[in-house]
Amino acid sequence: MAHVILKDLVKTYGPVYAVRDVSLTVNDGEFVALVGPSGCGKTTTLNLVAGLIPITSGDITIGERVVNDLDPKDRDIAMVFQNYALYPNKTVYNNVAFPLQMRRMSSSMIDQKVRDAARMLDISHLLERRPRELSGGQQQRVALGRALVRDPAVFLMDEPLSNLDAKLRVQMRSEIKRFHQDFDATIIYVTHDQLEAVTMADKMAVMNGGYLQQYDTPAQVFANPVNLFVASFVGSPAMSLIPLEVTTAGGRTILTSAEKWTIELSDQNARKVQGATSRKVVLGARHSAIRLHKSQVAGSVPAKVYTVEPTGDVTFVQVFLSGTVVNISLPPTFDVEPDEQIWLAFDQNRMHLFDGETELALQA
Amino acid sequence: MLPSYIAHQDRGLPTMTIVTGEASQVRQPRTTRLDLLRQTWSSRADYLYVLPAIVVMLVVIAYPIYYTVELSLFKTPPGLQLKDKSFIGLNNYTTILMSNVFWRVTLNTVIWTLASTIIAFVLGFALALALHREFFGRGMLRAIFIIPWVISAVAASYIWKWIYHSDFGIIGVVLVQLGLVDRPPNFIDSVSTVLASLIVVNIWREFPFAMIMMMAGLQTVPEQLLRAAQVDGASAWQRFWHVTFPHLRGVSTVTVLLLAVANFNSFIIPWIMTGGGPSNASHIWITHIYELAFGRQRWGVASAYSVLLFVILMTLGYFYVRALSQGDQREPGA
Repeated sequence: MAHVILKDLVKTYGPVYAVRDVSLTVNDGEFVALVGPSGCGKTTTLNLVAGLIPITSGDITIGERVVNDLDPKDRDIAMVFQNYALYPNKTVYNNVAFPLQMRRMSSSMIDQKVRDAARMLDISHLLERRPRELSGGQQQRVALGRALVRDPAVFLMDEPLSNLDAKLRVQMRSEIKRFHQDFDATIIYVTHDQLEAVTMADKMAVMNGGYLQQYDTPAQVFANPVNLFVASFVGSPAMSLIPLEVTTAGGRTILTSAEKWTIELSDQNARKVQGATSRKVVLGARHSAIRLHKSQVAGSVPAKVYTVEPTGDVTFVQVFLSGTVVNISLPPTFDVEPDEQIWLAFDQNRMHLFDGETELALQA
Repeated sequence: MLPSYIAHQDRGLPTMTIVTGEASQVRQPRTTRLDLLRQTWSSRADYLYVLPAIVVMLVVIAYPIYYTVELSLFKTPPGLQLKDKSFIGLNNYTTILMSNVFWRVTLNTVIWTLASTIIAFVLGFALALALHREFFGRGMLRAIFIIPWVISAVAASYIWKWIYHSDFGIIGVVLVQLGLVDRPPNFIDSVSTVLASLIVVNIWREFPFAMIMMMAGLQTVPEQLLRAAQVDGASAWQRFWHVTFPHLRGVSTVTVLLLAVANFNSFIIPWIMTGGGPSNASHIWITHIYELAFGRQRWGVASAYSVLLFVILMTLGYFYVRALSQGDQREPGA
């Protein structure tokens, strides 16, 4: 295994930037998820690391080597694809053996390595089958086996779970995580599903518009999103974002909505909004940081219930507040009806504040 | 030439599959046969819907086939006085199998079919691969390569007849101008070169069909498999051999079979360009049958020839259906 360093990576297609100044370090044995919406450049970044497309500028280092100009086969990488990309006309054995055969390894060596990998992944009994005779989970393990026999410096995974049904996806998620733990593998994993990134990765790199937005542990990204995009992308249900205007009067800092309801900020939050470039700020709050009251209490703001979605353990309520939809989670015992008039109170310690112009998180 | 043939194949084949289906049912125990009758009766409306098609097929396909088989057992007088025909059993077949012309024509047909099919397929496949990659002018080249296939075979045959002409043909003129030969060569008036010359024309006409089929097939090769192979260390040739070619096996089989059957049935090019001459050197089965029937009015012998040809083509058709249904079975897993 080895570390991977991307430095000022750029990929352009004509005037269009697919990847823009991306720099990040994947440490030895680390599981890093590249996550973002469609077209954010995450798959392009992965293909650049793999060498499947040439880079425009920047450097890619795998282990101690700069691999910019090396062919994919010489980069010491293995890749797992969406749909697994198993060779349909070959048996499982030959699928796993293929990368070794391409390297002209002796057949006795190949046989040993294939059987070792098959034993580790529990697919020994499937070696004579063809991919179409396997279940989705078995196919995934074969794809992992084909990557594993190479003993690569880094595993690259391109949305390997995105074509599975919901139940199998959850199961395969834990299998890949287990794979990472068992083999101390360095993994770069592309997904558009932030939940996959949060649950599996040591670190997540959130991308948008070709730019790397934030690169940190999932806990940090979740707790301290650096800008509005990351805040809205990571977390399910999404963080509620309410555009407000800030005013200061008599030492008090107050956020005012278009409907004229107000929230007085705590000292710490007041210091944060002092850094704002204009009077426009965006208040962000996760569903668990908002309290719902049936009657007005101090510091609460009026709102109306839109939908109620019980999930068993927790009930999600969507509320209309100043023209935006706010997500709140409630215990299932809490009784609330659609169109009911309610009041919301925001937890000042878990509140996020963003600059309305630059969209960056405001820091104290 | 090809389209009309394909239409014929399509009509002929479903009947075959139904026949095999029933044949396997016969071996079942009696109760199953009763069930089958009951099933048939309960879905009688469905049979009503396909009845018109069946009637049309019986009239335009089944009856001609039956009549051809019947005629092949009779000696027919010249002219259309078929009421004077006399039963001679399998005599027509012995006449055919004993004649030198039969073996000559059969050899010609085999050479014609194999050479045309294989070379047209390889050439079409190679061009499909070359045109698969994107480059400037690709669309234009595709359009140009399809021209031989879309122009009328009759017109093409006349044009090629002039191109080959021993006095005024462009090829001969160019060869003389280049100083490669003293006199324009005899392409289609010489026993030794006529068949090869016609095969060249046939390939020129057919390779676009193979090209289109293979181009369509190439577009279905999953990009991810090729990338996976690239990461696994396969060279361009190895990617072709391990990924592209296996993926195209189904479409290749179908293309080769369609070409083979079409070539077996070729008529327009040899008939217009040489009429089978000189001295039968370019006769293939269809042109020979046509000449026997409509040139020499030997209906009985021509019918016997047709029956033999029918048997051979049905065998090819069987493999065609099998190749197609194998493709269907592969689909869900792929």
